[in-house]
Amino acid sequence: MKNRKHLIPPAILALLLVAALVWGYNQNQIRKQHEITLENYYQRLFFDVKKHIENVQVNLSKALVANSKERNVLLFSQIVSEATSAHSKLGQMPLTHAEVANTEKFLNQAADYSTFLIQRHLQGEEITEEQREALNGLQGNSARFNGELENIQGSLSDQNFLLGSMSNNQGGEIEEANANIFQTSLVQLDKEFSKTPELIYDGPFADQMVNRKPVGLTGNDVSLEDAAKIAQEFLGEVSIGGIEAFEAGEHVDESRIPAYTFNVFSQSQNEDMAIYLGVSKKGGKVIWMANPRPVTGGKMSVKDAEERAKRYLQDKGLFNMEPNYSLKYDGGVLFTFTNTQDDVIIYPDLIKVKVALDTGEIVGFDASAYYMNHKDRTITDPHLDQGGARAKVKENFVIDSTRLAIIPKGKDEVLCYEFKGKHNQGDFIVYINALDGSEEQILQIIQDENGTLTF
Amino acid sequence: MKKFIIITTALTMIFLSIFLFFGPENPKLISSNYTVFAERVLYWGTQGQDVKTVQDKLSRWGFYDGKADGIYGARTYRAVRKFQAKHGLKVDGVVGLATARALGLPHAVGATASGGVNRSADEYLLARAIHGEARGEPYVGKVAVAAVVLNRTRSSSFPNTIAGVIYQPLAFTAVADGQINLTPNMDSIKAARDALNGWDPTYGCLYYWNPATATSKWIWSRKVTLKIGKHWFGI
Repeated sequence: MKNRKHLIPPAILALLLVAALVWGYNQNQIRKQHEITLENYYQRLFFDVKKHIENVQVNLSKALVANSKERNVLLFSQIVSEATSAHSKLGQMPLTHAEVANTEKFLNQAADYSTFLIQRHLQGEEITEEQREALNGLQGNSARFNGELENIQGSLSDQNFLLGSMSNNQGGEIEEANANIFQTSLVQLDKEFSKTPELIYDGPFADQMVNRKPVGLTGNDVSLEDAAKIAQEFLGEVSIGGIEAFEAGEHVDESRIPAYTFNVFSQSQNEDMAIYLGVSKKGGKVIWMANPRPVTGGKMSVKDAEERAKRYLQDKGLFNMEPNYSLKYDGGVLFTFTNTQDDVIIYPDLIKVKVALDTGEIVGFDASAYYMNHKDRTITDPHLDQGGARAKVKENFVIDSTRLAIIPKGKDEVLCYEFKGKHNQGDFIVYINALDGSEEQILQIIQDENGTLTF
Repeated sequence: MKKFIIITTALTMIFLSIFLFFGPENPKLISSNYTVFAERVLYWGTQGQDVKTVQDKLSRWGFYDGKADGIYGARTYRAVRKFQAKHGLKVDGVVGLATARALGLPHAVGATASGGVNRSADEYLLARAIHGEARGEPYVGKVAVAAVVLNRTRSSSFPNTIAGVIYQPLAFTAVADGQINLTPNMDSIKAARDALNGWDPTYGCLYYWNPATATSKWIWSRKVTLKIGKHWFGI
């Protein structure tokens, strides 16, 4: 009996070992299952991207052959959908941004450019020689892309290559070599795309649109000290405990609005709860301000808050600003103000003001859109009268109000009649071009107890 | 003695089998905080998972000190009232649309003509990204991180949706290590809203990185324009 007792610990240990082995095996099985699922998903993305690019290429070739606008519009809309799908799927593959940035750009602009050409066609215009040239370039690029994917597909089947191995770092050497084939060919392609000339057109992803500079800032550059003074003046009555500038990077002048950014903390508040604001280098204007203090127990009405916001803008020397939408959140109300000139509402010149509902203090200010777009405008007389414009709007659209407005269109602006109204219980705004009567824009308005959002 | 060995063995087996066959906890449990939030209004007497979510949130922020049991009782009522008073909402002790939004819950919009078109999903996803990426940063650093995400959606060389940008593989460390699934705090939600409403402290930046921990060599080729907290922002 006694000599059996010493068998107990080893027996338990042996059991534990067996149990650990079983557990480990189970875990390994689960891991493999996950890997296979992920790998299947990545493979599917790869083959999908390949198919989409193929379709883009084929449709571009057809568009170069096609002679009628109707056929072209159909082909371009297919290009838009195929390029968008390819772009969205490429963005899900285990590749870093650095490896595919230009490829993504190519796909985005191919879709964007096709949309632009569809619009031109629908307005009855023909494709110009330059546009044909640009299409040729796009076709060449998509062919090259397709060829590269063809190569990858080859190595994929040859070497039992696993895409999933690229997203986890513990992959062995063989997997690493595989990943390299994939990455080098895509990186090579990405480099080639970066050399292709800029597409000149009007659309949200056009380079001219993305690299826009502010037109509303004029005057000389201000120094950091002057900017700090401007910031303090802007805050006015707030007792200031200290002001500190965030360190600028060496390329600060290349940002969209070169500016100084300040951290202002008042005596009563700790450093954590500071007020932040940005002052433009050029002209020394306050671009934005945010005071993230918690707002408790708001009693003020939205109407009173709007008055406060209006007065605030006037104090800051921003006249002719008209409130149009409001949104209540986090104890405050955000008002959107737009510039007006000769009773024409100018939407690109937009300023947002946030009022805290407890004290009525202004806790947020954003004039970046205003300074990006504001300029002296000469508003042309509309060629169309209001009745003529109304005839262009859907007949059973119930109109509540009408006025003239300038809205942004790509990098330009257009003068429109703005019809606010209802259709099928939904609120909409319809914009009719006041010069040629085309339907420029339709916005859906979503209203709830907190305010208004446009989509 | 033999009996003893048998019993020990049996117990060990039972004990181990629990570990073996009910392996790691289902990860879904972690996410229960933000998945489903009912379309209904919550008030005194309501019960359910959604009530539990509200209680959970309130206790995390120190408004509620009871158990998160999923029953809307007196304590929950008082906590909701406290929360509403603190956030400038109508103090009625009822979790309606406005309160649910302030709580940062993906509450579906009621039956209006909008048909569910709203921004709350964007807000919540962005808040989670902020919370994962910039929890310890000053408020402006949080808005800046959200602004970078939004600037990317408008850039040609990035995905065009908020989810596309956030979940782009290898783009954000907080996504890769799962920190994005933490429940965001009030500050992150507020920062997400400010960014969605147009505030951009970075003036159009597309990148940010922490110079102390950045592992990608490539990121150093970006042009730095601004430094906020631990992050460098660049184009």
